Amino acid sequence: MRLPSLTIVVFMGLSVGALAANLTISQQGRAFSSESVTVKKGGTLTFLNDDSVPHNIMSTSAGNEFNLGSQPPGSSTDVTFKEPGEVMVICAIHPRMKMMVKVTE
Amino acid sequence: MFRPSPGQSALLGTTVATAALALFGFAGASLGSAIVGETRYLGVDQKAAASLDAMKAQYRRPMSIPFPKDNPYTPEKLTLGKKLYFDTRISVSSAQSCASCHSPAFGWADGLPVGVGNGMAQLGRHSPTIINAAWGAIFMWDGRLANLEEQALGPIQSPGEMNMPIDQLMERLNTIPEYKPLFAAAFPGEPMSPKTLAKAIATYERTVVSQRAPFDNWIDGNEKAISEEAKRGFALFNTKAQCSSCHEGWNLTNDGFQDIGLPSEDVGRGKYAPGVVKMEHAFKTPGLREITHRAPYMHDGSLKTLEQVVEHYDQGGVNRPSRSDLMKPLGLTSQEKSDLVAFLKTLTSDLSPTAVPVMPR
Repeated sequence: MRLPSLTIVVFMGLSVGALAANLTISQQGRAFSSESVTVKKGGTLTFLNDDSVPHNIMSTSAGNEFNLGSQPPGSSTDVTFKEPGEVMVICAIHPRMKMMVKVTE
Repeated sequence: MFRPSPGQSALLGTTVATAALALFGFAGASLGSAIVGETRYLGVDQKAAASLDAMKAQYRRPMSIPFPKDNPYTPEKLTLGKKLYFDTRISVSSAQSCASCHSPAFGWADGLPVGVGNGMAQLGRHSPTIINAAWGAIFMWDGRLANLEEQALGPIQSPGEMNMPIDQLMERLNTIPEYKPLFAAAFPGEPMSPKTLAKAIATYERTVVSQRAPFDNWIDGNEKAISEEAKRGFALFNTKAQCSSCHEGWNLTNDGFQDIGLPSEDVGRGKYAPGVVKMEHAFKTPGLREITHRAPYMHDGSLKTLEQVVEHYDQGGVNRPSRSDLMKPLGLTSQEKSDLVAFLKTLTSDLSPTAVPVMPR
């Protein structure tokens, strides 16, 4: 029957979101804590600035563009990736900071 | 009873999932971009202020020069590269070489507020030094070139600078017989080309390294190497004055792009990062080695002395949205300002003179 299967999909979406902690990428020492991570489409990464200076995390990769602007030390922002593909994430300020987010179906 | 086909099930599933996302507070965003959530402010434990020894350890000189895998060092490349670097015939006028603007006489820059190019025309920005370029992450004030090999070909072809089309340069070099064996020795089996020319010049540039300065001797444990003022200046550099936020490590830079509030129209990095507010008026942080040989300072050479530089930072610069969050009035006393300058002076070595090579004919 139609109604129960709809309900199940919604609850599964809820529980997965609540239980799975977002993968956190930190930036201490002007470096991303990972060079490469994989998330599913619709998945979320938490960008945490645990460094002593501001960072400006962003990507121009098609379908997953974002720009966090100047992120002060001690703050964290979530980014949800909608499109499958490879997302090159950089810090606009610090040219050595680069990481790859692989978004799978 | 309604039984959805597999295709219809998938569509149903997607529709429900999207509805669920919308219900649970994900911010709306246009198609074709990632979704940015709210920013949370946490009390992340800043490490307790580092001890002086821990601070000093971050400034230790490296043991060797890094050369890239695709252009490793050889003495033959160095010999060829040095000749090319000093060879005025690589410019269309035969009057300008790399060394004209990046001269060993002026801390490997040219001592001018802005560079001078073809026809003695003034250029837009201060000539950067090539000292310690081997450690650079990215090149040009606006970061538009990735490595030294790319950079070497830029000024050669730029109409405002050497104004020499690269094919014309290769033809000219072909008419100078003594270059042939030099190229053959440096790049056996390869023809003379812009690629090998650039690799040779880059190899030479990587050997231009700041020499041991009094600061390095102090870092290595000689307490008599620098004055008490300079030691206080070093502490300020790393704490109250916040200089080490950008001028960090042994070369005193992390190559980061910041708007430091200079009253200049030049958007710098902003040209290559459209829409990124903090990149407007942002320029690459230079290193500070041999700094007393490199006046005047800033991307436009607008500050003539180190005292003026310290004053600029103490005042905080033009308050505009693009200005780095790190820039703000510092409240330095005049003693603190002179201590900072005393420290900066210890970064200069007794630079030995550079022998200019004899040109191939």
